[in-house]
Amino acid sequence: MPLADFLSQLAELETAAREAFAAAADTHALEAARVEFLGAKGGRLKAAQKGLGTIPPADKPAAGQRFNAVKTQIDADFAAAKERLASAATTGQAADFDPTTPGTPLVLGHLHPITQTIEELKDIMGRLGFSATEGPEIEDEWHNFEALNIPASHPARDPLENFYLATAESVAGAGGTPGAPLLLRSQTSTVQIRVMENTRPPVRIVSLGRVYRPDTADATHYPMFHQIEGLLIDRRVTMADLKSVLRLFATSYLGRDVHIRFRPSFFPFTEPSVEVDMQWGEHWIEFGGAGMVDPNVLSAVGYNPDEVSGFAFGLGVERLCARRHHVTDIREFYKNDVRFLHQF
Amino acid sequence: MLVSWDWLTDYVKLGVTPAELAARLMMAGLNHDGTAQVGDDWAINLEVTSNRADCLGHIGIAREIAVLLGVELKLPAANPPAKGPPVSSLVSVRIDCPELCPRYTARVLRGVKVGPSPAWLVRRLATVCIGTISNVVDVTNYVLMECGQPLHAFDMAHVRERKIIVREAAAGEKFLAIDHKEYQLERGMCVIADAQRAVAIGGVMGGADSEVTAGTTEVLIESAAFNPMSIRNTARRLVLHSASSYRFERSPDPESVDWASRRACELILELCGGELAAGVVDVGTQPAARKPIKLRLAQIERILGIRIDAAEVRRILTALGNRELKFDAAAVEVTPPSWRRDLEREIDLVEEVARIYGYDKIPEDAQVPMAPSHRSNADRVVAKVRHVLTAAGFDEALTASVVDPATSEAMSPWTDAAPLVTQMPLLREATHLRRSLIPSLLVARRTNEHLAHPRIELFETARVYLPQPGQLPREENMVALCSGRDYLAVKGAIEALLSAINPGLTVDVVDRKESWLEPGRGATLLIDGEPIGLLGELSAAAKRQFQLRSPATIAELRLDPLVRLALLVPQYAPLSPYPAIERDLNFELAEAVRWSDLAATVRQAAGDNLEQFTYVETYRDKERLGADRKSLMLRLSLRRPDATLTSAEADAITKQVIDACATVHAARLRA
Repeated sequence: MPLADFLSQLAELETAAREAFAAAADTHALEAARVEFLGAKGGRLKAAQKGLGTIPPADKPAAGQRFNAVKTQIDADFAAAKERLASAATTGQAADFDPTTPGTPLVLGHLHPITQTIEELKDIMGRLGFSATEGPEIEDEWHNFEALNIPASHPARDPLENFYLATAESVAGAGGTPGAPLLLRSQTSTVQIRVMENTRPPVRIVSLGRVYRPDTADATHYPMFHQIEGLLIDRRVTMADLKSVLRLFATSYLGRDVHIRFRPSFFPFTEPSVEVDMQWGEHWIEFGGAGMVDPNVLSAVGYNPDEVSGFAFGLGVERLCARRHHVTDIREFYKNDVRFLHQF
Repeated sequence: MLVSWDWLTDYVKLGVTPAELAARLMMAGLNHDGTAQVGDDWAINLEVTSNRADCLGHIGIAREIAVLLGVELKLPAANPPAKGPPVSSLVSVRIDCPELCPRYTARVLRGVKVGPSPAWLVRRLATVCIGTISNVVDVTNYVLMECGQPLHAFDMAHVRERKIIVREAAAGEKFLAIDHKEYQLERGMCVIADAQRAVAIGGVMGGADSEVTAGTTEVLIESAAFNPMSIRNTARRLVLHSASSYRFERSPDPESVDWASRRACELILELCGGELAAGVVDVGTQPAARKPIKLRLAQIERILGIRIDAAEVRRILTALGNRELKFDAAAVEVTPPSWRRDLEREIDLVEEVARIYGYDKIPEDAQVPMAPSHRSNADRVVAKVRHVLTAAGFDEALTASVVDPATSEAMSPWTDAAPLVTQMPLLREATHLRRSLIPSLLVARRTNEHLAHPRIELFETARVYLPQPGQLPREENMVALCSGRDYLAVKGAIEALLSAINPGLTVDVVDRKESWLEPGRGATLLIDGEPIGLLGELSAAAKRQFQLRSPATIAELRLDPLVRLALLVPQYAPLSPYPAIERDLNFELAEAVRWSDLAATVRQAAGDNLEQFTYVETYRDKERLGADRKSLMLRLSLRRPDATLTSAEADAITKQVIDACATVHAARLRA
């Protein structure tokens, strides 16, 4: 057979095989095509191979080379068709793998929503230049009351409004009166006093932690809760600075431009004292208390109220967290039902 | 403080709606707690802060309104005609305890007809939720709600010998009050007595047998000043809180003592007839004159951050009842009104100006200078702890710092000292400041077990309170874990935690025996000899005590030493570019040989080219290995920093390890 005839026969075979394999819709059809083209006995490739013997010797190398190339191509086409059908079978109805099966579980724990709230508030205040500080939860009356301008006659001093410790041990705390009674702090402002006692202005801190006030536990009260308080003391700090910092804080927290409203109020450690509202959509919602640090407080820590001024603000973490996450009963925060924790 | 709209119109012209009024008052410091319609009237509920006793009466609220709306304030003159004999001929008053009652005034009316109050008075009292009793008593309540000065009316027929003696109560003195309950009085309480016995607890409540009744014809009107602290203590000790004690605790206007008395007599004459004795018995100290206050005008801008015109400052202060004494370009000096006990200092005036001028005028876009903030190492370490533990599948719990005695006594790993105790329980029976977080987590575990949750993995970071004689208690930050997994699982989490804090930390594990730990399954963790934590499986007894069904493993670590030991800025170490060779060794050895001992031998024998060394598994089989025998499999990862480690070198190191383990621990290599 002349070389040219052989080559055209091979080309025809290659095309036919490719089309047959590609057309095979299932494994049976593919097997039939395989037998037709690649069958060891009567396959068409085998038959073509026989034609190789009839090629003139001079053309034999070229013919053999071409034959091998075609065989490789047909094998490859068959393999591709087989793979196509195999993968079609898998994604179709082949039964040994279900891709909808849940993945191997990776169990992550959840941070308590109060922690998440505190961390977010700390983070925002950090960006505004306020460093987080902590202090003792068991306090003397100097730090919890007197230095905060809460005189013995103030209703907040009522022993029934505070958790005093029963142990009447004589304790000489820093700045405290020896032999003074101890109590669980009723506000984190105690930390501010401790920081100011040991630092010269400027002071720019947030104090945070647990505080304790006798309240019957109900949907909106718990005798232990968390407070976060900011304090800025420097030369020329004004109430406009307070309002502006709170606006930045609220805008960072709520993620859009919010406005701040002050309503007059009364706290012994600030004067003027205000309740702070922030705009949440259409409404004004209570944010916490704030004010300019009372000159008596500045004097109590050894600052000169005519030289420095400052502001302080504080808020209850539970209430803010409850409002943001629509927790309707703050006692949920302390039940530690894992289903509750997993919601956050 | 409930306020009647109709009542307010007696003093000021209200050209606004109740809602507008409430909004104005709220922005001036009287928080609005709601408005309710009562008949034809409105009851406006206002929250009055503890410094504003002047707002505990309608006149005080009307004064605020007059300033806010710029309207005139009209007050009753309260000048009743006194046609009777001198009052001093009808009653005598003596104060034996001026520290409890600095001033006492008495007026007497004779020939009064006790009966029901007229409709207007009944309605007004109803609006502010005060029930009516009789015209005389209702008038005293009316005047209380009008000006905030509490009064008391005695039936003169029951004031023995026409004497009023104000004295301190005797310890254990018994007193039958108007509510017909008997109270046992104590020292420090103020008693109003006649010649024979107490007729009232001063400022708190009157007595049953001197109250005004239908048959009363002669009435003594008491108007006095009491020590606020003493009133508060008395009301609290006797659990006798009244509208009267509430106001006396907050220091009402001393100038209204006499006004209120005259006003009450005026109304009694009008409503009950009779005749007022001339004059007043006024015993004790007259109110001291108010000290002038100087406001430096520059302080306004310095504190508020806004400029307010001097004329406006003066207008506000004067409108609020301050009397201007001096004024120049730099300062204004005023005498505050008697009813504003809270105005004493310059800063108080700054607040008044701001409050009336309007906080809405303070800008919210001031340029606050930037400042760096610093995150403490403690904060960084706690963040790592939370990060690792949540990754390890632990949920964060928050439990109360104060627990009940049984929970407190259950375990105290850090101190033998008795816990600190609060005078009042925080929650039910919770009086003990906790010395460990673990019991609280076990309680939380029980809560979750009761809800049949299959997976309860909890941790908490909080403080424990460790008493120290003669000092403030030591508050230590702890992290505690409570898991349903076993000892090794929890130990693995702790090791990951410690490694995250500082990969170079070496922890020594020492057996720990506690009644609440399963024997042989408890350990103290030490770093450089310092105990930093404990770990163990909960004993059956402790499980029973906490009513737990499934096994639990507990752990508690001290965070403060970890903060000290933390490696917060890791340092780069050069990496060898050459491949490592791993060799697994399977030793058979006596059960008594501990991993920690074997590991020390291996480390020492392997030398510097031991890059990593890991525990693979322990295998026990009595039949094949024999009793008290085990097999330990470990993996060596060997690498040279300077060249490729050859197989021969690896074999040599491995042989050193095998030989050392054979010599030191009689360990045999298993085939």
